[in-house]
Amino acid sequence: MTSADTSIEPWGADTAWHPVSSKLIPVRLISFGISLLPIAFGIAIAWPYLPTWSRIVVIAGFVVGVALRTMMVIRAVRSWGYAERDEDLMVRHGIMVRRLSIVPYGRMQFVDVSAGPLERAFGLATVDLHTAAAASDASVPGLEPGAATRLRDRLAALGRTHSEGL
Amino acid sequence: MSLDWTGEPRRRLHPLTPLLKGVRGFAVVVAAISLQGFAQLGLSSGAVVVLLAVLGALALSWVSWLVTGYHVVNQELRVYEGLVWRRSRAIALARLQSVEVVRPLLARLTGLAELRLEVVGGAKTEAPLAFLTVAEAHILRDRLLAISEQAHAAVATPETTAGPDGAVPQAARPEPPAPEQRLHQVAPRDLLLAQLLTPQALLTPFTLTASMLMFALNPNMSLIGILGAVGAAVGIALQPIRRVIADYGFTVATVPNGLRLRHGLLETRSQTVPAGRVQALAVTWPLLWRPQRWLRCRIDVAGAAGGGDGEQVRGGALLPVAEPETARQVVARVLPGVDLAVVPLTRVPPQARYRAPLRRRVLAAGLGEHAFAVRHGLITHHLILVPYARIQSIRVSQGPWQRALGLATVYADTAGTGIVAAAEHRDLAEARWLAAELTARARQARLADRSR
Repeated sequence: MTSADTSIEPWGADTAWHPVSSKLIPVRLISFGISLLPIAFGIAIAWPYLPTWSRIVVIAGFVVGVALRTMMVIRAVRSWGYAERDEDLMVRHGIMVRRLSIVPYGRMQFVDVSAGPLERAFGLATVDLHTAAAASDASVPGLEPGAATRLRDRLAALGRTHSEGL
Repeated sequence: MSLDWTGEPRRRLHPLTPLLKGVRGFAVVVAAISLQGFAQLGLSSGAVVVLLAVLGALALSWVSWLVTGYHVVNQELRVYEGLVWRRSRAIALARLQSVEVVRPLLARLTGLAELRLEVVGGAKTEAPLAFLTVAEAHILRDRLLAISEQAHAAVATPETTAGPDGAVPQAARPEPPAPEQRLHQVAPRDLLLAQLLTPQALLTPFTLTASMLMFALNPNMSLIGILGAVGAAVGIALQPIRRVIADYGFTVATVPNGLRLRHGLLETRSQTVPAGRVQALAVTWPLLWRPQRWLRCRIDVAGAAGGGDGEQVRGGALLPVAEPETARQVVARVLPGVDLAVVPLTRVPPQARYRAPLRRRVLAAGLGEHAFAVRHGLITHHLILVPYARIQSIRVSQGPWQRALGLATVYADTAGTGIVAAAEHRDLAEARWLAAELTARARQARLADRSR
């Protein structure tokens, strides 16, 4: 999907990108569905008062919006990726706004592994890498527990060997 | 509680502390009761209330003084406080970012000072030790800085540290006071003129006349209305006045292995930043100062999120106002190897005009020998310098509009809080190259730092 010309990653072809688990797609879709509930509720309340033509418009709009957003969610999950290089961890994600973070292991302050209720239900976890900079953003969601702990332990070990002050 | 004492005994703050803090309480009480309250209570009973409140405040601060103590253990400063909720904090001096000796007006009259430490990871100023005598504060500051330097060196080269606890070298006794070498002092005249040349100061005559006119045209305006209008006018003028008072006599000096900034007319502050703790430096050219070619410099130190007393805006001034040549000399001392006169900058590519039609003339970025440089700001120009050795992480981002134009933005993140280094709207290929080059240079600089 990303040809060398339009990607924002340096070292484009040489990096081995790991995708996140595709089980993250239902997780994200369910949380999207939950966020839809208030809207659906609003429509349900307004329903008896709507003339027929506007019911069609509302339903059509709702369906199209949900369909578009679903596609976006699926593509957004597929866009997540991380790569462990010799000296740093790279994380990329996003489709509308593409983002890439390069975090050197030596700068790592601590690693978080977290899993919300939805993520847990699907057996997933999120690994967050924190540096002393608040703006650093290296968070990898949708990892299988095994992969998450492996990544955390690797990062912790690499952080120890590369550790530096500020 | 007192079993874990190793080394020196715990020390108390200066005995006058409760009195000084009590006076603050007095002001708060008077403000809380307010004029109306006094009118209702009557003079004598009002005085009794105030007296009781002041006695209460004094007693409270006396108790808090009794239970507050500090001492240095190994490479930590430990601070104990609280009667009901006991708190003891251990501040790792290896993480010390800057030390400030603050002397509010009352403390100056009584020869006392407050010591404030900035530590990485602290959201606010850690452990303000208020109050100590000035001599004590200075000795403690020099000692903490010396320990911090040792500890920092030990962290940087872990092989040389002795293994088990106890073998850690006991911190050096206070050395003779560090000689200070003055680099520059801002002339009061320049400071005053510079603050007169701010939008707020220039607007003041207009806002004042406007409020006068309002009164003249509408004589039966209520007192509240007049006070409100005048208050607003004064409020606008207040910021430049505050700056003049805060930055009066601003002096930049170097001490062995660090930088010292002193300033203040009523409340004096003297901040010491150890070498290599400056995360980023920002140079600003305000529009109104351009005839004088004046500029302003700020530095960003990790953990120092403003003064903690709602002083967020000020950040860490390095030079409140300076001529280009002075700034060049000072910046060269703060960030060794950086020359303000020859910062390499390249502009954004032509297609950026569709994304930032006006700013494209200003936006620029470049890789200097020791620092990453970014320029932005249409009316007020800003130049931001981030030493490679202080870069924490690098980010690239590309919005949809940028993608259509083949642009991307590159960020260099530091542990600082106030200065953001973002090279906006670079050509995509250049952005990729910048990210790769920044990663490589940051790594080299880190390794050089470690072996130093």
